[in-house]
Amino acid sequence: MVDSNASSGSPEETPNPNPDGNAPSESDVTLDALARKVQESLSLGQKHKFWETQPVGQFKDLGNSSLPEGPIEDPTPLSEVKQEPYNLPNPYEWITCDINSEEMITEVYNLLTNNYVEDDENMFRFNYSKEFLRWALHPPGYFRSWHIGVRVKTSKKLVAFITGVPARIRVRDNVVNMAEINFLCVHKKLRSKRLAPVMIKEVTRRVHLENIWQAAYTAGVILPTPVSTCQYWHRSLNPKKLIDVGFSRLGARMTMSRTIKLYKLPESTVTPGFRKMELHDVPAVTRLLRNYLSQFIVAPDFDENDVEHWLLPKENVVDSYLVESPETHDITDFCSFYTLPSSILGNQNYSTLKAAYSYYNVSTKTPLLQLMNDALTVAKKNDYDVFNALDVMHNESFLKELKFGPGDGKLHYYLYNYRIRNELKPSELGLVLL
Amino acid sequence: MGEWQQLLQSILLGLIFSYLLAKLISIVVSFKDDNLSITRARTAGSDQNRPESDSKDELPGGDLGAALEVDSVIAEHGSVRNESVHASDVDDDDDWEGVESTELDEMFSAATAFVAAAAADRLSQKVSTDVQLQLYGLYKIATEGPCSTPQPSALKMTARAKWQAWQKLGAMPPEEAMQKYIDIVTELYPSWVGGMTTKNKGGDDDALGVDSKGPMGPVFSTFVYEEDSGNDFKMDAIHGFAREGEEDNLLKAIENGVSVHLKDSEGRTPLHWAVDRGHIKMIELLVSKNADINAKDNEGQTPLHYAAVCEREAIAEYLVKQNADTSVKDNDGNTPCGLCDSNWPWMQWSSK
Repeated sequence: MVDSNASSGSPEETPNPNPDGNAPSESDVTLDALARKVQESLSLGQKHKFWETQPVGQFKDLGNSSLPEGPIEDPTPLSEVKQEPYNLPNPYEWITCDINSEEMITEVYNLLTNNYVEDDENMFRFNYSKEFLRWALHPPGYFRSWHIGVRVKTSKKLVAFITGVPARIRVRDNVVNMAEINFLCVHKKLRSKRLAPVMIKEVTRRVHLENIWQAAYTAGVILPTPVSTCQYWHRSLNPKKLIDVGFSRLGARMTMSRTIKLYKLPESTVTPGFRKMELHDVPAVTRLLRNYLSQFIVAPDFDENDVEHWLLPKENVVDSYLVESPETHDITDFCSFYTLPSSILGNQNYSTLKAAYSYYNVSTKTPLLQLMNDALTVAKKNDYDVFNALDVMHNESFLKELKFGPGDGKLHYYLYNYRIRNELKPSELGLVLL
Repeated sequence: MGEWQQLLQSILLGLIFSYLLAKLISIVVSFKDDNLSITRARTAGSDQNRPESDSKDELPGGDLGAALEVDSVIAEHGSVRNESVHASDVDDDDDWEGVESTELDEMFSAATAFVAAAAADRLSQKVSTDVQLQLYGLYKIATEGPCSTPQPSALKMTARAKWQAWQKLGAMPPEEAMQKYIDIVTELYPSWVGGMTTKNKGGDDDALGVDSKGPMGPVFSTFVYEEDSGNDFKMDAIHGFAREGEEDNLLKAIENGVSVHLKDSEGRTPLHWAVDRGHIKMIELLVSKNADINAKDNEGQTPLHYAAVCEREAIAEYLVKQNADTSVKDNDGNTPCGLCDSNWPWMQWSSK
């Protein structure tokens, strides 16, 4: 019966149909297989429910080459976009969050800090800083109406949040105005109230009102249908702390002493002309980055304003370094990472994990390996505990060699109302969402 | 004559069988009809959307009477759930159940689905009717609340037993019923949760993870634990005791004649291991048993080197007080002090 979900049935897991042949161990195995299968079909079925109603690539269309790439649904006239917000359950109301207001950003910060994404074992929870949120939500041309909160009418308490920011994203040769959807968070106590789908619909409506019809987003779960599936990799900078807090584990045969030696980094960077990016570098970095990103199938279309916003260093938010040739003073290489700390839940010695996330890196003269080792070196110098990177762009070429280890987190990329014929390899993807 | 009797017997058996089967189907169908509307109203949130399947497929076809009836109770579980979900699919656009739900909800849904599947696949060890009825009652409480339907007629034995199982639970809160249901299933099939968690670790699309991962957004990833690949490394039990800080076991080993100077294949003594993992009590114990405080591993490093590299200040200080050599060089020419990032004045002072 579970098999009837065609997309989840895997033939090798068919349980032994012969009841007499069940030796205890064998029956355990089949029970496991069965449990897994039920689990799979549950989750697949569950997802279908909401996303089948949405203009996204559907699982059933996978491999159907007769469908054209591009928008799935045409834009509707703005006058036909629903003008009033979707209905919320009665005790709640919509608000538009003014991120510039200190009071508002504090409320948002508190909601996310206590309720946002955790790891599988609930040992860590993302702790995006207020400065980070301001940065992430106020790119050039942002719409205030896309910063959406839900609060309890009576207590005014903020209980849910979702945001969009505008971005020009190129898919092959087409630059498409999109919304990047992020920071969907529902208070832990309200997880059974089914708020998320109506929030997704509301942000979609408000995006439509700005005459934008496509969106990009990521998820840790499989929804219909990933544009690409990427994997997280981690590079220990402070292995002792990572082991103490349970972010990584020390094998029974491995010593702490040897592990610490393994991850030691040089005291200073090795590339001549390696320095922090400054405001006057914006035009050169923009040229370098545009040229580099043009090789990927899906990538942001950055202009100078975007580069100034997204890549000019901001303390404890985003760091960018470049290589200025000592002879020609050309900007030849560039690397960047953003700062995303996490709360460590239930550890007596540490409360915060300081993580750097690889952002955009371009190498033309300096070998990428050396450039990234310099990035690791400055991150270590600035007291980051771990450096994380997805296997997007050319990252795979340095991950193993620079002692990154695979993570348990897969990140799936999605486009809303835009069909791509074949799933992309991570190395064909030039997009990093925060 | 004998053949004649046999033929008669088999015809008779066949008749009884088909009667039982027809009876069973009619009970199930009538039961479903009775309860469909209530189920539909109450399952929101706790129900996962499962693929629809024909409930008749789940009825065991040719088993013997008793087992057949037991199985049918479970199988019906599945069918009621399926039907109710199917019905709610037709609901309007604003019906969003399943996209978010609590961990208990998800666990419960998974458990019910597992039970239904186990019954359908005939993996059920012959679970007693009592337990089946108990599960049934809890299921009804969890999905529909207290029993409010009229008692079925005394002729419908199964229906009546089921009704009683439900009714006797009174006004038990649904959460409690879910938890009890999960507990019973876990007791019956200890491996089912195991199967789930294994899946959890390996998979990225599990429903249980939805709670923390959320339906959309970034992912928090940690290292995948990789076992050290099989090299020639060898260590003895005493190193393991030192590594884990198991003082009693270590003492026993020593009493049984194991040397505290025993080295593993990398030349590490138990003291190296205890320092590496930071077990100060174990270190004191080993020192009191005359462990060599300046023992060198294959790289020429002493326990004090380990303490310095691992920045274990209290331990380093203790070792120095126990006259550990602060000027000893390892094979790369490094003194403990030279390997230490922190500034420990007492170590530098004594190394001069």
